[in-house]
Amino acid sequence: MAVVEPLSRDDADRAGFGPMLAEAEALGVPDDLFVRIMGHVPGYAEALHDALHRSHALGDVDHSLKEIIRIRLARQAGDRYFAALRSRAAADSGLDEATIEAGSGDFEADPRFSDAEKWALRYASLMFTAPQSVDKAFYDQGKTHYTEAQIMELGSFIAFHYGMQLFMGTLNLPTGDQGS
Amino acid sequence: MGTAPETIDEAFYEDLARHYSVEEIVELGAFIGFNVGFHVFFGTLDFYPMFTPDGRLVSQEESRRVYGDKPISQVSGAAAGADPEAAE
Repeated sequence: MAVVEPLSRDDADRAGFGPMLAEAEALGVPDDLFVRIMGHVPGYAEALHDALHRSHALGDVDHSLKEIIRIRLARQAGDRYFAALRSRAAADSGLDEATIEAGSGDFEADPRFSDAEKWALRYASLMFTAPQSVDKAFYDQGKTHYTEAQIMELGSFIAFHYGMQLFMGTLNLPTGDQGS
Repeated sequence: MGTAPETIDEAFYEDLARHYSVEEIVELGAFIGFNVGFHVFFGTLDFYPMFTPDGRLVSQEESRRVYGDKPISQVSGAAAGADPEAAE
């Protein structure tokens, strides 16, 4: 059983989380369960949902690439909840499970990823396994593919999502029927 | 959370619930997750404080000399082991 009971949908609506729940339902990541758990701390619920949504669904870096990175990170964090979620926008744009699997595996040798995509996947992979290797030379290489604004967008996205995945992974939440 | 998240299980949360409400536990968990994520990210950016412990606005190069490589308090920075000559 989950260690934190989420708010009921009615209680979340009464607390004014309707717009966030609608946004969660539309994209699918995070879904309404995240809002109903964070709803225990109303100020956090709005801020964290907004941060996760903006960094993932908006911005200048390709959303499908960020979806691949997000799932790779969720698996790395041991978070079955976020690992099971899928972005409807990314699926609508053609992202399939085979590409997601490839992004979670040996992406370096996979020709389906460009050099820029491989750098972004490497950035996410190393951030929490070998952060000391994400140094000036690494960022200099990234700047051959991305602007500084895009790199900050990627870094913030990775930090936000991995942090929340670590926490949500400890809550023993039920997962949907999607692959994890 | 940041080093052994698999040990934060139901028993851990039951113990936590003896001290904190559900609201406080969610607040703590989200706060810690957010901070783990962002501290690691910011650590890779190699930034140092803009001000020395005595309040001088300094360049990143000078700040690096003042604070050194170990994470130390901005308040006690120079006195806690950074290069004393650089702090003068």
